[in-house]
Amino acid sequence: MISRIFLGAALALLVLICGPVTYLYLGTKTSKVAEAPSKPTAATPRAQALSLPGTLYIAQSGAIYSLAAGRFHQLTPEAGWTMPSLSPDGTSIIAVKQMPFYSDVYVLNRFGTVVRKVTSNAAPPRLKYDPGFNHWSFYPRVSADGKTLWMAYDKPKFGYDVVLSIWAMPFTGTVAQGKLWTNAADYTGGDVQPVPVNGGIIYTKYDYGPNLKLDGRLWFTNRAYSAGKALTSPAEDCRNPSVSPDGTQIAMICTYEKQASYLTIASWNGSTLGPRKTIISNQMVAQPTWAPDGSGIAYLAPGVPAGPFQLWWLPRAAYAPTPTPVPTPTPGGPHNGPLPTPTALPVVVVKPVQVTTNNGFDAVSPLAWRG
Amino acid sequence: MLSSVAGGLAYFLPAAQLALDSTGQVIRVPTPSPTDLFTSPLPQSPSASPVTGAFTVLLLGSDDDSKFIGDHVLTQSMILVRIVPSTKQVTMLSIPRDLYVHLSTGGFGKIDGAYSYGGPGAAMATVSQDFDVHIDHYIWVGLLGLIKLIDAIGGIDVVTSHPVLDDYYPADVYGGWPYDYERVAVLGGPQHLDGIHAMQYVRSRHGDLQSDFGRSQRQQQVLMAIRQKANQVSPEDLPALSKAIGGELKTSIGLSQVAALLPLAASFDNPDQIRQIVLLPPYTHGGGPGGSINPDWGLILPLVHTYFP
Repeated sequence: MISRIFLGAALALLVLICGPVTYLYLGTKTSKVAEAPSKPTAATPRAQALSLPGTLYIAQSGAIYSLAAGRFHQLTPEAGWTMPSLSPDGTSIIAVKQMPFYSDVYVLNRFGTVVRKVTSNAAPPRLKYDPGFNHWSFYPRVSADGKTLWMAYDKPKFGYDVVLSIWAMPFTGTVAQGKLWTNAADYTGGDVQPVPVNGGIIYTKYDYGPNLKLDGRLWFTNRAYSAGKALTSPAEDCRNPSVSPDGTQIAMICTYEKQASYLTIASWNGSTLGPRKTIISNQMVAQPTWAPDGSGIAYLAPGVPAGPFQLWWLPRAAYAPTPTPVPTPTPGGPHNGPLPTPTALPVVVVKPVQVTTNNGFDAVSPLAWRG
Repeated sequence: MLSSVAGGLAYFLPAAQLALDSTGQVIRVPTPSPTDLFTSPLPQSPSASPVTGAFTVLLLGSDDDSKFIGDHVLTQSMILVRIVPSTKQVTMLSIPRDLYVHLSTGGFGKIDGAYSYGGPGAAMATVSQDFDVHIDHYIWVGLLGLIKLIDAIGGIDVVTSHPVLDDYYPADVYGGWPYDYERVAVLGGPQHLDGIHAMQYVRSRHGDLQSDFGRSQRQQQVLMAIRQKANQVSPEDLPALSKAIGGELKTSIGLSQVAALLPLAASFDNPDQIRQIVLLPPYTHGGGPGGSINPDWGLILPLVHTYFP
């Protein structure tokens, strides 16, 4: 009798438990596609402690982080911070703080504390009724002599035609002292990502190609209000230029007008690009950045197909393999017959290394790297 | 066993609810008004697709904020999609929202008004009669639904073609006053977009020289990115997805057909098999009444007959 009661109670309990357990079990089987990326400082597993030289600066969810010796540090709160770059002496970070209606350039110290605000792009209070009186500043870069701030700035604009142009302004001055440097094409998004190089700047210009598609092209200019010289063709559809530490190579992202991106490098002689070499073609790559010591290229790409962007590292050996030594037979030895055919050593394929796994880095924000 | 089944049913209940509410919508084609001045070419009722298994769906996307009353919304996005399962080929034809056509409800006007006059049935009938194409089904998604759908699948990866900057983008999704404006800057290049930024990318047209045509290309691009991301979704995600897009999705496709189509969608993984068509000039040209776009049916219809036989 007792056992029947016990059995009945056990069955009733089982019935009560099975439903919720099944419900909860199914909940654990979701794909996790919608899970929010982890903060770099909290992500597990931690970033691989690769021997990345120096300190890398990177943006996620409106905050700037530094990565040094395999550890991330959050430098700013999540408040619209993006697009870090470095002052020539490496002691300051130049970054953008993006608000809903405008963005400004700031100087931060290397610990993320605001030192000063460089631009003032919010509309004056009396003109707040019209969003068009606000301005965007993006992609700030300081010249090698530390005197000039280059940036993409949405002035002039004409009604609905809002385009970014390349501007140069005194780093310690105001936008009013700045100079319009490029003439952006109307209704294209404009000119972005200025990169100071010897004798001028390289930048990305968006414009309509011969097939009426909007393409990105790298241009070089050394004169104000001159587009300069196109470095890539419309069909290559390139953007995100990054110059190697020795100034002889450029890494960029080219899409060839497809929903794909290829990490491409080319030699740079100060006025033209050499033959292109695609070094990554199977990922949606963004923001390639050369290591200060030339040991490789860091870039952003999804960790899983269609996922948020992670930090990746491509060692130099992957795109500039050292010549494989070939054993050379020594003539004049005891062997008098024909020399044996030299045998090449097996080629070692160097693959990119995924540094982070569950972050969500801002893929339109260039990386900054201090040696 | 019964308890486990009940637990499973409870888990999938939101998805089932949405599926029942949203799918299998009856298409009602409004009767044209007696003042009908139909002059569009080839109004004969089109025949069904001759290729076995091929079918055509009209995708409709609408602003459905408080500017609009009830179901009387405009369709900002109209994309005709033909799917051939046997060859895994997809053709997408974007129809300009401002195209000046004969409306199935009578009279002439911009094609984006067809839905507001007579719901999805009128939109389907208008496209069907003017483009001389057989349409099997429609899928309608509201603005907020698309944002929530993209967020529910964890965002999408897109190579945005160029910076999309707009000083007068409608702040009608989360703002208090639907006639407000906000500034938008979706920068160019490969990136991961959440729902709100994906919506800004596909909806803004002020900064595009090609206006609605450029926007149509971006819409097709985002559709393909959603399809790609959908491959990562598991059946257990359906309740969360249903919760996200509840009330923002309607389709005439029946529940059993949806179940049959899901595995099919995952098999379309070759981008070269997806053809994208936008009716740029000379297929259309500006200068129509009230800022509309005039179609050149002499060019459009042969194109449609080729890709939507």
